Amino acid sequence: MPIHEKSLIRPENLKTHDELVIDGIDVSGHWSTFIEPRVVTDYNEALEEEIAALPGGEYIHRCWQCGSCTNSCTVHAINEDFNPRYWIYLIRMGMESELLRDKDIIWQCVSCNKCTYACPRDVFPEGVMKATSHWLERKGHTPMSPSMHFDEVFTEQILKTGKIEESRTIRRFFSRTKQGLFQGWMIEMVKQLLKHLPIGLLTRMGLATFIAPRTRDWSRAGSAMQEYIDEQYEKQEQALTLAQLVEVAREDAAA
Amino acid sequence: MTKPILIVGGGPAGLAAAHSLGTVGRSSILIEKEDKLGGAPILSGYAKLVPTGEWAKDAIGGMVQRVEGDSNVKVLAGNTVTDFDGSPGNFTAKFSNGESAQVEAAILCSGFTHFDSVNKPEWGFGTFEDVVTTTQVEQMISSGNGVRCPSDGRKPTRVAILLCVGSRDRQIGREWCSKICCTVSSNLAMEIREELPDCHVYIYYMDIRTFGLYETRYYWRSQEEFKVKYIKARIAEVTSDGEKLIVKGEDTLVKRPITIPFDMVVHAIGMDPNVDNTDIADTFGIDLEPHGFIGSGNTYGSMAATSRPGVYVAGAATGPETIDDSIAQGHAAAMAVLSGLHQPVEKTA
Repeated sequence: MPIHEKSLIRPENLKTHDELVIDGIDVSGHWSTFIEPRVVTDYNEALEEEIAALPGGEYIHRCWQCGSCTNSCTVHAINEDFNPRYWIYLIRMGMESELLRDKDIIWQCVSCNKCTYACPRDVFPEGVMKATSHWLERKGHTPMSPSMHFDEVFTEQILKTGKIEESRTIRRFFSRTKQGLFQGWMIEMVKQLLKHLPIGLLTRMGLATFIAPRTRDWSRAGSAMQEYIDEQYEKQEQALTLAQLVEVAREDAAA
Repeated sequence: MTKPILIVGGGPAGLAAAHSLGTVGRSSILIEKEDKLGGAPILSGYAKLVPTGEWAKDAIGGMVQRVEGDSNVKVLAGNTVTDFDGSPGNFTAKFSNGESAQVEAAILCSGFTHFDSVNKPEWGFGTFEDVVTTTQVEQMISSGNGVRCPSDGRKPTRVAILLCVGSRDRQIGREWCSKICCTVSSNLAMEIREELPDCHVYIYYMDIRTFGLYETRYYWRSQEEFKVKYIKARIAEVTSDGEKLIVKGEDTLVKRPITIPFDMVVHAIGMDPNVDNTDIADTFGIDLEPHGFIGSGNTYGSMAATSRPGVYVAGAATGPETIDDSIAQGHAAAMAVLSGLHQPVEKTA
């Protein structure tokens, strides 16, 4: 490419008017092409602090942009746009809109931790990726995906009973993802189970469908876990100013 | 009877040389053009020194006291050397107060001059009150008044430090690296963050040269403990929107132009050759090196030599230098004078 800056022009920044007349001169279409500036006009200083408040993001401020993380990255080898070094920079400098452009690939980190071992400053980039994914989720930038629903159903059950009862997991997952329970493969699986499983096991499975099995004395362990999770969650809400946002919304509603 | 040794300049190097000579019972004349001793750290009001963290007025002030209390040292403040003639062991020096003295040798500890930021008008110094130099920030801290915007005395919430102001810049004929500004800037950034925890500090750099052990003590520590942010960008210009200073440049890592508002912009000013160097070179009959600092010989045969036998040089007169190394060179120059007088080094074949 003769002018490399052309590669920096973003398609969404190209403005063309199909019909445009300026001072009596018709500049419709290609003639009226303008490029919107890409100038960064401010830093959002809260962004780094927000990521740092989430588990894994604590050491992001150590980064000096050497690129060891990106160079060692498993995902980067397949997808050049997956660039932890770049995202860490955007977060540190508070270029939020730039970060959000990549919200659909940031979560693709496979947690192989090669970056963790390559990083000369112990930034723990893998942790930063995790924290950033959570940040996107908590700030509502990523819609609930089926896998997120599954995780939620799974975790809720564990916290409540200390055990996983598969049929309950599946039923709730289907219900939350608005899928019907009676799917062909499901009906076929139940048929096969009824045919092949010993009667004792079938009875226990059937009972468990109605009476959720619990780990003995789970309530204390479960509530301790729940308490810790709530505590952390609240701390993060504060750090991410989500709590304040909710408060403001509540006040607005009251007024 | 031995004649005294002339030391030109009462900064860290000169103070060290005078003290060294005094400890072996050799007399010296310490001539200083300003009215008091101490050199840049005292005259320019530096705050905490790199790398000890001691206040300049205590650390260098202590060196001044030690020399002033030394009967072997005759201090001639507010004076310059107007004429210097003779040969090693037998020089005659004339001073601006009309006096003259017979001396055995001379050590030039004439130091440097801070770069004058007015010479980079695009970065706003002299145009906008809130564009200041590292020296001014040092003074804000050492005065005890704290870091404040000069325009209205408010506490800044966002400060930019621009590195290489008056260094590594062919446009203004200053191609050298001033060596200490990276470290000084990260030190100041930490001091700002310590005094004003809500103030974010950004350092705009081309390279970071916190050499040797300064790497962890300053560069790493400023990031890891004080969350100072470093941005690889040479700033194009500093303007104002009427309320805030606007720093323009390219953030090279994201390949995006930036126009960022700041409360205060600090120029990390470099070290120029002493403005009097051409006069000093004329008076002492010595050569300057191409950048305008005092030329020094190789250190393998004799330490601290200039182009003229019997005239030695130490500290930032030879080029950008740290305070610690200036002091070491002052001591080394004293030793070089003594060995030069008593046992001239012969070059090996």
